Amino acid sequence: MHVDQLLDAGGQLDRSSLYFERFGVTDEALRAVLAAALSRGADDCDLYFEHSRLTSLQLRDRKVNAAGTSVDLGLGVRARVGDQVGYAYTEDLSLRAMVGAAKTAAEIARSKPGHAPVDLRQVGLPGYYPVKRRWAEAGLDARVPLVRAWEERAFARDPRVHNVQAYLVDSEKVVMVVRADGRIAQDFQPMCRGFVMVTVEQDGVREANSANLAGRAGLEYFDDTARNERMVDRAVDDSLFLLDAGKPPAGEMPVVLAAGASGILLHEAIGHGMEADFNRKGVSIYADKMGKQIAPDFVTVVDDGTVEGARGAINVDDEANPTEKTALVRNGVLESYLHDEISARHYGVAPTGSGRRESFRCAPMPRMRATYMEPGHHDPAAIIASVDKGIYCASFSNGQVQIGAGDFAFYMKHGYLIEGGKLTRPIKDVNLIGNGPEALERVEMVGHDLVLDEGGWTCGKEGQGVPVSQGQPTVKVGKLVVGGVG
Amino acid sequence: MSGMQGAAERAVEVAKRLGASEVKAWGSRATEIGLKQRGGRIEETSEASTQGLSVSLLVDDRFSTHSTSDLRPAALDDFLHTAVSATRYLEEDPDRRMADRADMGSADEAALDLCDEGFGARGPDGRRAAVAALETAVLAGDPGDLVSATAHLWEVRSEAWAVFSNGFSAHKASTSFGWGSEATISEPGGKLPEAYSFWSARHLSDVPDAQAVASDLWARMDETRTCAPVDSLVCPMVLDRRAVGRLLGPVLGALGGPALWEGRSFLRDRIGEKLTPEGLEIWDDPTIARGLGSRTFDGDGLLARRRPVLVDGAFAAPFLNVYYARKLGQSPTSGGASNLVVSPGDRSWQDLVGTASRAMRVTSFLGGNANGTSGDFSFGIRGQLLEHGRPIANVAEMNVAGNLLDLLSRFVAPADDTWTWSSWRAPSLVFADVQFSGTS
Repeated sequence: MHVDQLLDAGGQLDRSSLYFERFGVTDEALRAVLAAALSRGADDCDLYFEHSRLTSLQLRDRKVNAAGTSVDLGLGVRARVGDQVGYAYTEDLSLRAMVGAAKTAAEIARSKPGHAPVDLRQVGLPGYYPVKRRWAEAGLDARVPLVRAWEERAFARDPRVHNVQAYLVDSEKVVMVVRADGRIAQDFQPMCRGFVMVTVEQDGVREANSANLAGRAGLEYFDDTARNERMVDRAVDDSLFLLDAGKPPAGEMPVVLAAGASGILLHEAIGHGMEADFNRKGVSIYADKMGKQIAPDFVTVVDDGTVEGARGAINVDDEANPTEKTALVRNGVLESYLHDEISARHYGVAPTGSGRRESFRCAPMPRMRATYMEPGHHDPAAIIASVDKGIYCASFSNGQVQIGAGDFAFYMKHGYLIEGGKLTRPIKDVNLIGNGPEALERVEMVGHDLVLDEGGWTCGKEGQGVPVSQGQPTVKVGKLVVGGVG
Repeated sequence: MSGMQGAAERAVEVAKRLGASEVKAWGSRATEIGLKQRGGRIEETSEASTQGLSVSLLVDDRFSTHSTSDLRPAALDDFLHTAVSATRYLEEDPDRRMADRADMGSADEAALDLCDEGFGARGPDGRRAAVAALETAVLAGDPGDLVSATAHLWEVRSEAWAVFSNGFSAHKASTSFGWGSEATISEPGGKLPEAYSFWSARHLSDVPDAQAVASDLWARMDETRTCAPVDSLVCPMVLDRRAVGRLLGPVLGALGGPALWEGRSFLRDRIGEKLTPEGLEIWDDPTIARGLGSRTFDGDGLLARRRPVLVDGAFAAPFLNVYYARKLGQSPTSGGASNLVVSPGDRSWQDLVGTASRAMRVTSFLGGNANGTSGDFSFGIRGQLLEHGRPIANVAEMNVAGNLLDLLSRFVAPADDTWTWSSWRAPSLVFADVQFSGTS
C-alpha cells in the first residue's frame, strides 16, 4: 500500500488503519513488542515507528546537476523505570528484530514483567500541516523549474551577482507512536526547504550570503511567488550589503533586534533553559525561578506547536502527547517549563507536548517547537530612535547557550550601527554574547511587529537536530557584549 | 561474504542493468552501545545494530546520490529503479566521472590498527561497572558545591564495504571506545557553571582510567568558576590545544574545493603564498595507527596519503576531491581532512607568554562564526586572563574577533602540549595582538 492511499482529500492521514501494516506491523505484532519491552518490569514503554523519504535537488554552476534521495525506516523502543531509560532501535521490522530490540531496551529494569495493553486504539490528531500537492507525487521535473526560477531572478536582480547556488529539499515522514497504555498516534509530517546562496563581486571584492524558506507543506508551498521572490531578493540584497559593511566597535552597548529571526535570542537565552530535563536535574539557571519575575511585565514568551505550516509545528509529539501553545514567560513571570513524559511526572504536571526526537534512533526529550515573543506596544521606529549609540541586528545565522551559567551567544550576519537614534553604517559578521537572565531583565522595549521567521532553523541538543521556528517583534536590549573590533 | 558487501555488489549490478554507466555503492553496518550514570544508578542505556546502503550514480553523465535503511530486496529494487529514473532529469556533469581505476587503492587496514578485536568483551555488566566507577571517581572530587554529575560511556564498532562499478572494492572497520563526565556546580549568585571531560580511543586499553578523567574534569571546572567578562583588550592569545579545531576549522572550509571553485574563499589565489611566520606547520595524515581520523581510502576510492597542508608559512594545496580537482584543473588530494597534525614547539604556553603583562587563554568557544569569503570571524569565548603567563581571572561573556588571514600572520609559536585525543592533534598556539571584546 502506498502512503497516498492513507491520505484523505485534505492531506491528513487516514487513521482507520495502521500505515506500518505494509511492513508486517499488525496489532498482534505491536502487542508482542510491547510485552517484550515490559518483560523485565519497566513501568512504561513506547514504540516509535518511522518511514521517511527525502529528496534534494541542487543547482550549481548554472546547472541542475545533482540530486539525492534517502529512505529511512525503523523502530525505536523505549522502556522506562521512573526516570531511567532503556533504548534500542532496529531498521529491520521483522517481528524477531522488533522483539529483540524491545528486549534490549527492557534491560533497564530488573524485576517482574509488566502487562502489555490489550486495547490498542488510535488517537485523533489536529491538522496543522495540510498538504495539497504531495512531494511523493511530484517528479524531479516538477522541482527543477523552481530552482531554475530562483537562479534566474538572482542573476537578473543585480549585475554584480557572480555565482548562484539553489537547493530544494523536501521530505515526507510517517511516524507511529504506540504507548504502553494502548494509545497509537499516527502522523504524516511533510517538510520542505528552499535555499539560495549568492556570491557577488565588486571591484575584485567578493562576498556571499544566503536566504532560505522552510515549512511543513507540500509542493504548493512554493506556489507563492511573492514568497519565493522574497527569498531570492534577500539573498542578493544581503550579499551586496556585505560589500560595504564593516565591523562594529567592541564592547557592551545597547542592541536592537529586528523583528523575525532575532527570535534566536529567545531560543538561546530562554528556550533551552526552560527545557525541563535540565531543570529537574537542577542544572538550568532557571531551575529555581518558577513563578518568579524574570523579565519586565511587558514580556511574554511562548513555545507553540500549533502554528499552521510552521517548520516547528507538530500535530502530536513523539511520545503521543497532544501539542499545545505553552506560555513559558507570561507578563515577565516564569510560568511553565517544556515537559516530556519524564519531567512532567517529576514535577507532577501534564506534559506540554514537547517530547521530540530526531529519528527512531534517538530517545525523546523536551525540545522547543516555534518559540516567539508576543508583540508589545512600542513602535519599531521609536525603538531605534531611543538608542544614541548601539547596533541594530537584521539577520542571524547561529547561536549557542550554556544552560547552567546562562551564557548565550548568537551570530549577527548583517545590521547597522545606530548613532543618534538613526541607522547609519552597515555592519556584518559579529558575535553577540550575554547572560540569559540578565538579558531578560535588560529588555527595555518590545515592538508591536511580531514576525515568525520563515527560515529553516534546526535546533541541536545532545546530538539530535529537530526542526524549529522562532520569531520576535523588534526588541531593545539595554546592553550586550558585541564582538567587534577597536 | 558479508550481507552488506553482497548488498553493495547487488546494488552495482542492478543499477548498471537499469542504465547507470558508473556506480559507487557502500554497504555499512554498526553496533552502537551507550550508557549514562547519574545519582548512583543507570540513567539511560542504549544499544542498536544498524545497517544501510548508499549509492552514487552516473547515468548518461548525470549525477545523483541515494541512501536507504530499508533493505528488503523488493524495496531495494524499487529504490534503485526510482534513483536511476530520477537521475535522467538532471543536466550533464561529466566532471562527476570516477577517478581512474589506477589511482584507486586502499592502505593496509592491519597497519592502521583501527579495530579493537576485543569489542564487546566486557559485556553489559562490565560496562555498568565501568561507568559506575567513573561516577564514583568524579563524585570523590566534589569540593562540596556539586549540583549534578553524569558519567557517560560508549562503544561503537562500524564496518563498511565499498564496491565500485570499475572493479574497485575495499573494506574498512573501526572501533571507538569513549567515556567521560559532565558536571555542574552552584555558585553564590545563582550561576551553575558546568564543565566536561570526554575521551575516546580506537582501543579500549588506550582510554584513560577513571581517576584521570575525574581529575581532568575538576581541573577544567576550576577554570570555569567565578567567570566574568573583563574590559575589552588587545593582547596575546593562547589558543588552548583543545580549542584549536574550532578556530582553525573555517580555514579548512576556505581550502575546500567548493569554496575555491565558486570564489567564496578568502584563500583563493593565496595557495602557496607565505601567510604565516615560521613555526606553524599542519599536515593531514590519515596513516596514523589508531588515529581517530585515520582511514585507508577516501570517498573517491583514492589511497590515503600523508600530505602537507601548511608548511613554511604557506598553504601547500587545497582539499580537492576528484570532482573539484577536474573543475580546477588540478590533481585531487582528498575532499576532506583526516588527522590534522599541528607540529608542536618545545616550550610551554606559560613560558611563551611569560613576558606579557596581559594575555588571554581561550579554552572554549560559545557561538560565533566565520565568514569564509572574507575571513572575518567573531566567536564567544571562555578562558583565563593571564598575567606573565599565570591565570589571574576566569573569563566568560567575551568575544574574540578579527580576520583569519590577519590572525595567521600574527602567529607567534606552538607550545609543547600536543593533544592527541581528537582528529585535530594540536598543541596550544600563541598569537600576538588579538582583539577581545568585553565590558567596555
